[in-house]
Amino acid sequence: MSEILIGIVSGFVSGMGMGGGTILILSLSLFMGIEQHIAQATNLVFFIPTSIMAIITNIKQKNIDFKIAIPIVFSGIVGAIIGAVISNKLDVHTLKKYFGIFLALIALLEIYSMLKKYIFDKKRHNKSIKK
Amino acid sequence: MVLMIKKIIIGLIAGLVSGLFATGGGMIVVPALVYLLKTDEVKARATSVFVILPMVITSGIFYYKNDFIDWKIGALCALGGLVGGYLGAKYLKRIPELYLKLSFTIFLIYVSVKMIIS
Repeated sequence: MSEILIGIVSGFVSGMGMGGGTILILSLSLFMGIEQHIAQATNLVFFIPTSIMAIITNIKQKNIDFKIAIPIVFSGIVGAIIGAVISNKLDVHTLKKYFGIFLALIALLEIYSMLKKYIFDKKRHNKSIKK
Repeated sequence: MVLMIKKIIIGLIAGLVSGLFATGGGMIVVPALVYLLKTDEVKARATSVFVILPMVITSGIFYYKNDFIDWKIGALCALGGLVGGYLGAKYLKRIPELYLKLSFTIFLIYVSVKMIIS
């Protein structure tokens, strides 16, 4: 039953376009002790139906920029093949370590974007008011 | 030409990450589109989901071939995901974005340290 709960939390967070998949994988692997590869594969399965729904809505609202998307799709598939082959060959311990490093990088990126949005931009905003 | 190279590199990196970790493609594509290609945020989010789906399907084929897919766990999580996705769409806007981002980042730092040390 905990799987359903994990799904609810991840789905909830996915709505804002950040980290749903990350939370799903971490909950499965860290809290439920499911093997890292299987936890990651679960997220792939989880992503497909939800993203198809989102894509249909986005196409209807004309929010997808196909000119940008098409080349990214092709090089993305090449990247995915390389990534998946490497990942599948790694032992669990190493994969978990790399995953941890990746999360730390994402955290830094988030901190940077928060600083930019809530501190730097606000300062600039205040300055322009003073003028 | 430069624009095309940028797109190809964004795709390669996002695909690599998607294949390696099965997540995080969006966290790369969205800021890349916004900062490198100057796409507006709404379009960047919408376009990112569209480009990530083929990467996820490609990775999925490899994970499937190597027998890493547990359909029972997947089905249960997806069931919860439907409920959570609905609730999120309905109530998420009431929670200030900063608090969500802060708690997510703190969570990330905690687990990344845990995973790197273990």
